[in-house]
Amino acid sequence: MTRKVCIIGGATTPFDYGATGFESIEGGAAACVKETMEDIPEFRLRDIDLMVYSHFSVHFGHQLSSEWIIHDHLGLVGIPHYRVENGGNTGGSALYAAALAVLSGQHDVVGVIGWETMDSVSQSQGSEFIALASDTRYELLVGGIYPIYYAAMAHKWMKENKVTEEDVAHIAVKNRNNAMDNPKAQWYRNEHRYLTIDDVLSSRLISYPLKKYDCCLMTRGVAFVLVCSEDYARKVNPPQGYVTIDGMGLSSCTIRAGDRLTFPGWTERYGPGYPDMTEFAACRHSAEKAYKMANITNPLRDIHVGEIHDAFSTSEAQIYKALGITGDDVAMFLRDKQTHLEGELPMNPGGGLMGYGHPVGATGIMSTVECFYQLTDMIPRKHESSKTQVPDAECGLVNSHAGTGTSISNFILRRA
Amino acid sequence: MKKKYARKPQFQSPVTYRPVGVTETGLAFVGHEISPQDNLINQFLHYDQLYTIRQGRNSPFFLGLLEGKIRGTRCPQCGDLWVPPRIHCWNLDCNLKETEWVDVPPTARLHTWTVAGWSGRSSLKRLPIVLVYAVFTGSNVAIANELRGVDPWHVEFDMPLTATFIPPGERKGIITDFYFVPQKDWKPSSMNPEKERIKKLVQPVYDWVKTLK
Repeated sequence: MTRKVCIIGGATTPFDYGATGFESIEGGAAACVKETMEDIPEFRLRDIDLMVYSHFSVHFGHQLSSEWIIHDHLGLVGIPHYRVENGGNTGGSALYAAALAVLSGQHDVVGVIGWETMDSVSQSQGSEFIALASDTRYELLVGGIYPIYYAAMAHKWMKENKVTEEDVAHIAVKNRNNAMDNPKAQWYRNEHRYLTIDDVLSSRLISYPLKKYDCCLMTRGVAFVLVCSEDYARKVNPPQGYVTIDGMGLSSCTIRAGDRLTFPGWTERYGPGYPDMTEFAACRHSAEKAYKMANITNPLRDIHVGEIHDAFSTSEAQIYKALGITGDDVAMFLRDKQTHLEGELPMNPGGGLMGYGHPVGATGIMSTVECFYQLTDMIPRKHESSKTQVPDAECGLVNSHAGTGTSISNFILRRA
Repeated sequence: MKKKYARKPQFQSPVTYRPVGVTETGLAFVGHEISPQDNLINQFLHYDQLYTIRQGRNSPFFLGLLEGKIRGTRCPQCGDLWVPPRIHCWNLDCNLKETEWVDVPPTARLHTWTVAGWSGRSSLKRLPIVLVYAVFTGSNVAIANELRGVDPWHVEFDMPLTATFIPPGERKGIITDFYFVPQKDWKPSSMNPEKERIKKLVQPVYDWVKTLK
């Protein structure tokens, strides 16, 4: 990048669902900004020259343009603002928009606030709201919820890659148990227990091969991240340091997973038969762009920590493959626990969507904040202990993912 | 007389099949709860609205469903064929060529599948549901729909399927007007450890659904 884009801070509210989640969206947003101000004493709200808001569904809050409530509550009248919506990749897309704004030279200090209040309706109604992002004409009535589409995709992928239910259960256990070190994580705040492989395998069927504990959480939560030029980063000089966005990619795929068997746009890029209904082509494509920008040639070696979109245990495994870190034998890669804390490339030490939570518009921002904390050695301060700090992490990956892989972004962050 | 600049389609009287008790109440606050200790209030808002989904040039597909026919589209330039339909070609070299409608035989092959033990609010009582993605003969894409007529644990990749329609009087011109069944000559293979595993996971779903009101 010609002009460096930096991340200098960020925070989330505690992630909750139901009884423990009661804060208003502007209350949550203010809490995130105040926590960031405590981390960066020289940062002033009046330095912000653009706000990008990251929110998925107006159905949950029953409030259109709810970003307007947050924006003037923060005192930012006159500062330009807009909202980005891109399904589960809303957070990643908002970060992309913020980075472009700084990269262009038009803006210097861009705040990104994401939120979702999914506990405003019952869990089954909430699942149905999310499924409105499937093609309502052809798919909603027969599927009803997203996990069903993901299960059908994962079932075939697991067969082809010889991956077992137990292999992916290890991912579910990893992320939830990582969340047990993170007091803001929904799993920590609510169920609060260490999970075992047997717990996952014996939990209730959602849609084969997915069981309850293979699936992420529905969440109320808000997250904030502060994106800026390097000049501004140097000016405020955050005590913990800052990171640069060295690479970023955003790509797209079909809304209906069944449309991917022979799509000309993929055939001309990757050859016939790809991605079928099994691979996340938009993840591979956006990762390739991000890697190229950041001069990543061997992602498993060059990247030290990742916060990725584990909507399901299976999709985290599918993402590993799309990121190009598994080699040909995906099952062996999983069994080697390469993405556990002690592995080559720890993924979701913050808990991910299964442990921290998945308030859709806030999720990609949460992943960014966690990755930022890893690269600035802030985990011991922000989590309960240093257990989930990846030692000496210099380079991190943030992945945000929507639909059935319909929009996916990847970012490479480096310690400045 | 004022000149009309836009054509107005003449729709016949609507066919309605509104379930008893479904009403559009608009916005209504219907309750609240207070936590005196924490000085907090939660409020309950109810909202319902009738939507008109205008299918436009996709209409032949849904009209076909009412008639018990599967219709797809085909690009006259490159020959690609789609069920579900696309009204313009997806091939960038075809420059959004308008596609033509074709009747498609009801035979399909199972591409991938799952059995659901949980679903959205409106589908809970139908559980467990076998959802398949199947490719109609000649189609470039797979379509999602329900598979009936087979125990969930006996469903197999690549099995041959037939699209079957619900009775004409019950059709709504929506995707659930048809479902898949195994083709007549298909027989499942014998039980194996994976089938046993699926059966074990599905069994409690049958019991749970019986408890729903």
